[in-house]
Order: sequence, then structure tokens, then C-alpha cells
Amino acid sequence: MLNNHHKQSRPGLQRYLQWLRPGSLELRYQLVILFLLIGILPSIILGFLVNWTVERVVDQQVISNTLQLIGKVNQSLDNDMENLQNTTYLIGFNQHVRHFLAGGTEADGGPSRQIGDDGEVSPAYSNPAADDQLYEIKQFLQEFTTLYPEIAGIMVVNPQGDYISNEMYARTNENLTKESWYQQAAAREGVFTILGHPYGRNITTHVNYADEEVVSVVRSITDPESRKVLGVVLIDLKLRTVAQAVRDVKLGKTGYLMVADADGKAIYKPEHSYLSSLPSDWTDQADSGTAVRNVEGKELQLVYRKSSFTGWQTVGVFLTRESASEVRQIHFYVICFLFLVGLIGVTASVLLSQSITGPIRQLMSFMRTAESGDLTVRYSGRRHDEVGMLGRSFNRMLIQIRRLIRLNELREKQKREAELRSLQANIKPHFLYNTLDTIHWMARKKGADDVSEMVEALSQLFRIGLSKGKDIIQLDEEIQHIKSYIQIQKTRYRDRLTFTVEQDPETGEFPVLKLLLQPVVENAIYHGIKARRGAGHIHISVRQREECLILTVQDNGVGMSQEKLQELREKLREPLRAMELQSNRMEKTGRSYGMLNVQARIHLAFGDAYGIELDSREGEGTKVTIRHPLLGEQGWNQGEETDR
Amino acid sequence: MKKMLLIYIVIISAFMIYVFRYYSQQSEVNAWDSRGLQGDIAENYVMVTFQSGLEYWRNCLKGFEDGAEKLGVSVEYRGATQYDVQEQMTVLEQIIAKKPAGIALSAIDPGALTPMIDKAVAAGIPVVLFDADAPGSRAYSFLGTNNYNAGLTAAEKMAQLTDREGQIAIITLPGLQNHEERRKGFEETIAKRYPSMKVVKVVDGKGDAMVSRREAEKLLKAYPDLAGIFVTEATGGTGVGEAVKNNPRSKPLKIISFDTNKGTLDMIENGTISATMAQGTWNMGYWSLQYLFHLHHGLTVPSPTSAGDVSPIPVRVDTGISVVTKDNVADYYAK
Repeated sequence: MLNNHHKQSRPGLQRYLQWLRPGSLELRYQLVILFLLIGILPSIILGFLVNWTVERVVDQQVISNTLQLIGKVNQSLDNDMENLQNTTYLIGFNQHVRHFLAGGTEADGGPSRQIGDDGEVSPAYSNPAADDQLYEIKQFLQEFTTLYPEIAGIMVVNPQGDYISNEMYARTNENLTKESWYQQAAAREGVFTILGHPYGRNITTHVNYADEEVVSVVRSITDPESRKVLGVVLIDLKLRTVAQAVRDVKLGKTGYLMVADADGKAIYKPEHSYLSSLPSDWTDQADSGTAVRNVEGKELQLVYRKSSFTGWQTVGVFLTRESASEVRQIHFYVICFLFLVGLIGVTASVLLSQSITGPIRQLMSFMRTAESGDLTVRYSGRRHDEVGMLGRSFNRMLIQIRRLIRLNELREKQKREAELRSLQANIKPHFLYNTLDTIHWMARKKGADDVSEMVEALSQLFRIGLSKGKDIIQLDEEIQHIKSYIQIQKTRYRDRLTFTVEQDPETGEFPVLKLLLQPVVENAIYHGIKARRGAGHIHISVRQREECLILTVQDNGVGMSQEKLQELREKLREPLRAMELQSNRMEKTGRSYGMLNVQARIHLAFGDAYGIELDSREGEGTKVTIRHPLLGEQGWNQGEETDR
Repeated sequence: MKKMLLIYIVIISAFMIYVFRYYSQQSEVNAWDSRGLQGDIAENYVMVTFQSGLEYWRNCLKGFEDGAEKLGVSVEYRGATQYDVQEQMTVLEQIIAKKPAGIALSAIDPGALTPMIDKAVAAGIPVVLFDADAPGSRAYSFLGTNNYNAGLTAAEKMAQLTDREGQIAIITLPGLQNHEERRKGFEETIAKRYPSMKVVKVVDGKGDAMVSRREAEKLLKAYPDLAGIFVTEATGGTGVGEAVKNNPRSKPLKIISFDTNKGTLDMIENGTISATMAQGTWNMGYWSLQYLFHLHHGLTVPSPTSAGDVSPIPVRVDTGISVVTKDNVADYYAK
């Protein structure tokens, strides 16, 4: 079964492969495919290239833009934090605050000054001077919040746990110095520290800012000499400050920025965010960079930059699969363009191929008509391109063919006429021949030898002339025929005519057209010898020259003038036409008719390469040379074929 | 030709499907951040006060900020740093020049600020007033305490605390409209309803704890039988509390303060101050922002003047008053 299947599929495959070879499909399909390949394929490739490049470039640009934006955001956050740092310094420099930190001023609250259950306040409250100082400090702190409304609260705590603040107070009476933020600040003597969102602090604000709504910073105030911690300044910054700087930045359609502290805990993230925190191993040690991470089946691209001042990382978060809207738009336009190109390309290729193959098909159908024999069909287009030229050539070709055919028909007709004439010439003598034979015998009986001899020659002449209707006879027979003819003429002219025959011995067997020599010799006698004074001589020679037989008939008669010779040569060049003219003029007896007949027969039988050459000089005689092909039995047949 | 038609149909329908998918995907992307009423982060709403460092404003600002957080817009807090009309006008002028999306203003002086408010409204910036009104202006709304009612409520509470008799003193900020109204509401109620009670003295506490303390000490000396003191603002209230605490008397003196700062609440908790009037300060900020947002986005048709009573946005909004005593003071502490 498997083999069977293979055998079946093979030819199918081959057929498909054949389609790939040029010339296996109709021209118009080839053209359509070609135009589509040329027009649409490059557009598609170009489209894909453009899409790919744009996506890459825009991606790069988005990343670099994002990094820039992040840099700006970080800078503004750094500025905010530096302001806070300065604020902590200014608070630390204040004399009243120093006094409080040293324990010299009453505080808002603290473990050292607890309010009793009976509502009695600690006695220090009654000290108006200390009270004034507290008031002063609070006024001083309020100046900062006045100038910088983004501060949610400021608290100053001394090492005893006493504190002063306008907005914040401890929830319980636990000592604030035990709080982690205080410890952290104390541990980093005098260094400004950003804590991020304050969680689980024993501090609350009067205005109810939730832990998520503020970012907390601390700095311990130290004694420059002893390096002892004198106290801690805590400032809560409203997250709004961070959020407004960050939220202002829109990344693409769905990208956003978030801020995480050094541990990766989110300081700010938008309401709908993919990430709740930023694991620290996600971003490497570098200050800025990009990373791709998978979160809950979503592939996210992160672009981050760390601020060396705050230690925070600002992170741009995108969905990887979603490209920027600009890219989407460009994709859209490119694909629209491709569709347009496709539409135009298909239309154009079909129309173009039709415009090219249409006239060719038309021409083809003309040719088919002509092929089937109707030569009257004509291409009638007015095109100037190759097809038009081809059509006109086609028309000319048809005209030429028709002319050639007509010419051929004419020739055939003439040949047949010539043959008929020679046949007629053959038939008449039959009766004559029989009669002559009778005369020959009667003369013999009566002892009239000269009559008997002449009549026998005459009868032989006719016998060979008839030769059973054959066109071709052996050269020997032809020679015999001409000898008989001259014999008869000699009887008439007596001593005025002599002749010699010179023949190459091996030529006797060759076939030749019959009655070649008789008209020539007749001419020589009637127009050469007869007009001469005294005896004339005719010399006949037969030679074999390479592939030809050369038969010459030379007389020493009157010859002819140059004009006459020239005229005769002209006639011999186109014997048929000359004969036609002569027959029209009814001058069959003309000197040249017999010779023209010979010439015509040779031309028809063997072509123009053979035939009669004429040479003559006035008063000296005429020489006629006949070139005749060397024929075997088959040679004759070949000759016939070439004639067709 | 039929083949061509088929090819065209295939190409065009493929294209239509693609376009359809492109647009449906785009609207899907857009749908991502449509969630309720949302503004733009670039919209900046400004809250303008006076004495901007004052703790009292913190709650208003918090309400303003909370509103902005919900609507996704940004806010800015500005104000005269001192009690200075000229400074507030300057600040307001600067803000109008920046073309914010809306201004919530607490007017220090209605008369002086009215042209400025009208200028802002004429420039297409919605203005609402909170806490302190400027009645003649073209501001769209006033959100604040009905101070006369607040004074009335305080008087009722005072009557209840003093068993409807005795001498009463008032420490206030004369010249400030809202404080005037509180005083008026208080005084008129006492005069009208409680004949055995009498307002013996009205003094200027200057909104300062120290000044109020000193004034209270003077009052205590001058009127030994004084049954109660009504303080029209918080800072002064704690000052009065200190004074009373430091000058123990045989007859308990009832103090009714205004607003709920930490000091006041502490004093209510330990009994120094009997009651305080809690204003809906958060409401003022929150609803100011909501109103401004609606006005900015044309979500409502504003009344042509604040005199018109029928308007999609209430022209006057009483943000309410509640009495804080020892019984409910725990609710007013921050959690």
C-alpha cells in the first residue's frame, strides 16, 4: 500500500515541480506570477522590514526616553529629599531645639512626663519659661510646614524619649527611642536616612495620614565632638509629592512608573499595577538597565534607574507583548499599504499580462487559421510594438506564401504543357513511323537503296523520338537519334553537310533527357549551314566533366551577330517566359523555339544550374554547349524530388 | 473575471477583518484605564488659605488630597503664610496666572478678595470658597460651617453645662466674619433663650495660645464668678485651658472651645475643656475638590451667581458641626 501510495504521489509532485520550470504554464499565468512576485513580494518584504525596524527603533527609543524620564523623576525626588535633608539640618541647628534635646525644655509627650490618672499634669507644665520655649519650637517647626506643605509632620525626639511635634503624637506611652526608626537614625550618626513607608510605628498624626500615604525620613543630631546622639528628627513627607512626579509620566498605553525602595518595597505604585514589589534580584547591581520578567503569566519589561541619593529605584513597567501605540499605528499603516499594493498589484498584473498576451493570443489564432489553410486571414492591429511588427510580418509572410504558391502552380502548369507537347510530338509520328517502315520495305524490294536507307533512318529517328513515351533515354540512344536525323538531312543536303560525333566511351550508359540535341542540330543546319556557301560541318561531342555531361554542338555556319546572340541569351535565361511570348506571337517556327524548349525542360527537370550555353561569332559559326547532370537510375528520381 | 472577483472579495474581506480587529484591540487597550470618574494628573487644583501653616487647615487639605487621589488629579496647597490680605491677594494673583483647573479659597477678607475671585471666574477658572465666605463674589459655592449655627450650638451646650445661669465670656477674633458669626450666634442665643445667663465680656484672643491665655487670666481675675468661656478657635482654646488649669478656682469654670486639635482633645480628655465644636474640615476640602472637578469638566451647570438657590451644585453647603465632649473624644483622636 505504501509503495502504491508513493507511486501515485510521485507523478503529482513532478507535475507540480514542472510548473516551476519556465514555459510550462500559459504565458499569461507566467506573467501574472512574475508581476506578483516583482510587485507584491518586495512590498511584503519591505513591509516586514519596516515593521521590524520601527519596532526595534521605537522600543529602543521608548527605553531611552523612559530612562530619561526616570532620570528626571529621580532628580525631582532627590531634590525633595535634599530639601528634607536641609530641613533636618536647619532644625538641628536651632538653639531652642538643641536646648530641648539636652533635656532643658518641656515636651509634648514622653515617658519622663506622664499624665497621671487623676488628670494632674506634671509640674514642669507650670514653668512659663519652658512653656514659652516649647511654643517657640512649635512655631519654628510650623514655619517649615508652612513653607513646604508637602511635609505631613515633623517630630523631634530626644534620647529620653521626649518629643515635640505639631502634628504627631505617640499612641502609647512606650519610649519612642525603642522604635526601629529611632534606632536606625541613631545607628547612622548624623546621616540622613530615608525609611520609606512607616509601618508599625507608635506614632500617629492628628490629620490621620495613613502609613501608605507618607514617606518617612530621619536624621540623628550628633554632638560633633563626642559623636553622641543628641536626638532624632523625623519628618513625614506626603507620598503625593512622589506620586505626582511619577504619575505624571505615562509610558505608552499601559506602561507606568513605580518607585521602590532599596529593598524593593513599593514606595509608590499606581492603583492598577502588575507588580506589588520589586524583588531585589530582578535588577542587577547596575544603576540603570532593563530586564524582562514573567509575572503571573504576563511578560513584563522593566526599565529601571537607581538614585544614589535616595537609594530608591524608579522602574518603568511595560507589557512586553504590547508595543507602543506609535508602533501599532505604523504597523496598521504598513499593512493598509500592503493591502493596497496587493489590490493594485493583482489588478495591474492581470491587466498587464492580458494586454501582453491578448494580442499574442489573437495572432496565435490567426496563425491557426492560416495553418488550417485559410491564407486570406490578416492581422489588422495598429500596434507599434513587437506584436504589431510580428503581425505585419505575418501578413507579409502570408502574401509571400500566396505568391509562391501561385508561381508554383504556374510552373507546374507550364511543365505539364511542355510534357503534353512533347507527348503530342511523340504520338503523331507513330503512324508516320509505321508508314515509313512500310515504305522502307517497299523500297528494299524495289531496290531503291538510297530511299530504303533514308526511310530507315527516318523510322529510327521516330522510334527513338517516341521511345515508348519515356522522358529519359540513354545517351547512346540520343546519339543514335541525332545520327539518324543528320543522316536524313544529309540525304537532302548531300555533300554540303558533314558531321562528326566524338564521344567519351564510358558515357554511353548515362540517362539523359530525350531530344536534347535534335532541336540544336536543327538550328545549326537551318540557321548556320544552310545560309553558308559551300560545305558545312557539324561537330558533336559528349564529355564527362566531374558531375556533368557536357554536350556540345559546333557548326561552322554563318554564326550570328552580337545583338542576336545577346537577345538569344536573354531568352535562354528565362525560357518559359520567352516561349510564352513566342507562342503568343505565333512564331513557333522561330529560330530559337526548339532550343528554348530544351532549355526549359532542363531547367524544369534539374534547375537553373544546368542548361544551354551559347557562343557564336558572325561568319565563323556557333557553338552550343549543354550542361546535363550525371544521372544514375536514382539520380533521376532525386532530380524529380528537388523539382517539387 | 469570476476568479478576479473572488480574489478581490478575499483581499478586501481580509482587510476589513484586520481593520476591525485593530480597532477593537485599541478600544480594549483604552478600556484598561477607564474606571469611573477620572481626571488627568495634569489637572492642578489649588487650595488657598491664609496662615497656611495653621494646623486647622491640615484636615481641609487632607480632604482635598483624598478627593484628588480618588479622581486622579493633582493638588497644590498655597496660601498667605501670615494673616495678611495683601499676601493672600498676591498669592491668588500668581495662582490665577498659572491657570489651574480650579481654586478652593478660604477668604481672609471678602471685600478685598472679591475682585480677584471674579477675575479668576472670568478667566474660566472655577472657584469655590470654603470655611470663610466672600458673599459678594462670583464664586460658585461656599462649603463651610454655618458659623451662626455653630455659635448657637455652642450656646446651647454652654447652657446645659452651666445649668442655664451665670456669667459667660467670649474670646474671639473680631473682624473675621466666621468668628463674628460664631460670636453672634452664641450671644443672640444666650440673650434670647437664657435670661439668667449673660455674656459679660468679649475679648480678642488674636488666635494665639499665649495671648488667649493671658486674656483668660485677666478675665478670671476680673470676674471671679465667671461660669464659662466660649473660645471661637482652637489655638486660643488650649491657651484658655492652660490658664484655667494653672488658676484653680472653687467654682468649676466650663470652657467650650472650637475645633479639634491635639491639645484641645487632650484637654477634653483630662477635663480641662468641657466641650469643643468639631467642624467638618475634611468635608470642606473633599467636597471643594469634587465641586471644582465637576465645574472644570462641565459635569454640572453652575448657577449664574451664588445668589441663585436652584443649582445643581449647592450654593451653600453646611459641612456640619458636632460637639466633642469627654464621652466621645476618643473618636476624634487619630487612629
